[in-house]
Amino acid sequence: MDKDGEIVLTDAAKRFGAYTALHPTNLVISRGQAVLLVGANGAGKSTLLRLVAGLSRPSDGKVQINGHDLQDAPEARSAIGLLSHQTLLYDELTARENLRFFAQLYGLHNVQERLDEALAEARLDDRQHHRVSSFSRGMKQRLALARATLHRPSILLLDEPFTGLDTGSATALRQFLHLFRGNGGTCILVTHRLDEADGLVDRLLVLERGHLRLDQALSSDLDQLYAHCAPYLDSAL
Amino acid sequence: MSFIGRALAILRKDLQAEWRTKERLSPMVFFTLLVLLVFNFSFELGGAALREIGPGVLWSSYVFASLLGLGRSFADEHENDALDALLLAPGDHGAIYLGKMVGNLVFLLAIELLSLPFFALFFNLSLGFFLVPLLAVFVLGSACLASVGTLFAAMSNNMRLRELLLPLLLLPMILPALISCVAATKIVLANGHFTELLPHMQMLGVYAVVFTVLSLMLFEYAIEE
Amino acid sequence: MRSTLVSYVLFAAMLIALAAVFLWVPTEKEMGIIQRIFYFHVPSAMSAFLAFFLVFIGSIQYLRTREEKWDRLALSAAELGVMFGLIVLITGPLWAKPVWGVYWRWEPRLTSMLITFTIYVAYLMVRDYGAQASQAPRLGAVMGILAFANVPLVYYAVDLWSADQQLHPPRNVGLEPTMEYAKWICYATFFLLLFHLVAQRMELARIESAVVRLRQKLDDA
Repeated sequence: MDKDGEIVLTDAAKRFGAYTALHPTNLVISRGQAVLLVGANGAGKSTLLRLVAGLSRPSDGKVQINGHDLQDAPEARSAIGLLSHQTLLYDELTARENLRFFAQLYGLHNVQERLDEALAEARLDDRQHHRVSSFSRGMKQRLALARATLHRPSILLLDEPFTGLDTGSATALRQFLHLFRGNGGTCILVTHRLDEADGLVDRLLVLERGHLRLDQALSSDLDQLYAHCAPYLDSAL
Repeated sequence: MSFIGRALAILRKDLQAEWRTKERLSPMVFFTLLVLLVFNFSFELGGAALREIGPGVLWSSYVFASLLGLGRSFADEHENDALDALLLAPGDHGAIYLGKMVGNLVFLLAIELLSLPFFALFFNLSLGFFLVPLLAVFVLGSACLASVGTLFAAMSNNMRLRELLLPLLLLPMILPALISCVAATKIVLANGHFTELLPHMQMLGVYAVVFTVLSLMLFEYAIEE
Repeated sequence: MRSTLVSYVLFAAMLIALAAVFLWVPTEKEMGIIQRIFYFHVPSAMSAFLAFFLVFIGSIQYLRTREEKWDRLALSAAELGVMFGLIVLITGPLWAKPVWGVYWRWEPRLTSMLITFTIYVAYLMVRDYGAQASQAPRLGAVMGILAFANVPLVYYAVDLWSADQQLHPPRNVGLEPTMEYAKWICYATFFLLLFHLVAQRMELARIESAVVRLRQKLDDA
């Protein structure tokens, strides 16, 4: 991990027309932190995540990654990896073709070795020449993770990454996240299911109607998590 | 990775996926044939009228087919939100436009060339002689369609009623190019002189360049959120 | 207050223009009384193009600054450009019938105006029906820039297409001095009308968005 992995929001806000998805927010997430982001539906979790990813442009204020404004410094985007419940893959291409395409977009060197390595890590080397459309949900998500981390980002953004995963793939993802943190990576995890975050995070952010309501360090204890989050979440949870 | 390199990577990815499924190409070629049939029965094309309205018929079918084809050009990117992954990659987003635009150009040319023999067959036209200048008209005309078409396809993907709105956006904008495409094709088929053809080709060239450059500049705004 | 003053000035200008057109200017020898529609037809066309230029300016400025006022300018100017374009497309055939014998001919300048008109109608429709309120200004700005870039190309292509069909007088035809003065009075009146209406429409758009914002605030509370 040669990059900083620091995220700074300065009065960052996002409005869609008259609707405010995120009110002006100040936030510093420093290198190596693992942040759990929770909130009810429509609280602004995805908005915040997309702002940090540079996929969304702040209506006001600034979002800086490693000291760069993503709108002004498009090269700074290479510090970020995004894993969501969608695969962000092309179904009609094979696993290897998908990864090769993104390797080209990121201008990686030694592409063949990097692909071999990534496919082995995802335990997909035997299926690498099969189309993604023939993959199971778990295989797709392993490939999606390989895609998101192909360029070795220092910041990983995870938007409901556990949705629809079988136990095996979920465990593999958790193991990867532990490893990623061990190497000093920064991550933000958005999830509905708090038990998935148990043991993975050290800081809790709670959003409610576009406001940052709670920002607290955690000792990764599940009961503590529930106690903090309960008032802000949908009753269904 | 350079701007052109990324555009080429996107182009190659699109062509690879299309080659594998042919899910845009085959229906579009067939659609073009169907439109030709419709025009034939609407206008009794076999007779002497052919030289007059044949080029118009040909380009009308191409424009209708391209509306459908362009509308699908960002479908792969939206299926699994892959567009997010493209946007996350470092570098200027104009490369995405350029790759997609050239892909659409290749795709439109393929439709045109594949359906051209049927046009010649149905309407008793021997094309051999005209093929080279006709190809030049096709390349420029398709470049015009692809230039604004790709940008509007990207824009309309986030809109309500997008199937309706893409033609609404594209048709009036493309009219000047269409006028010149039809006029140029008419001159080629009438074996007209090069000096007659030139102003129309210039018009198409200027249109394609102006809107490709403008679209490159505006693409970032068209897709941002 | 200022807008009321402008209204009075505009009213006076309109009376003067009407007097100039119907009382002062001599009747044209070949076309007769119908030629007087010229004083509405041509200034409307100029006002339409001026409005489309304002759409262009508003669009560029919106993308640069992201200030809503520029988007309101683009939207208001587009609506009025379409309205003045419609006046051209109505007065044109009215003039054409007695002079050319038919209401419509696919004559270059009329055709170009029609195409330009459809481009801006499409602009308004896409803004209205397609874009969500949050994207309409941004997508509108992109369209507004492309649409204006297309105007000269429309004219060039249509001229090439039907150069032999040209029935309009050449663009710099010499007019008798009184006709020339009356033309300039009409230009001035129409431009003043355009600016006044754009300003009014922008103000209305500002109030509309303020209402939406208030309602949103009430919902939030």
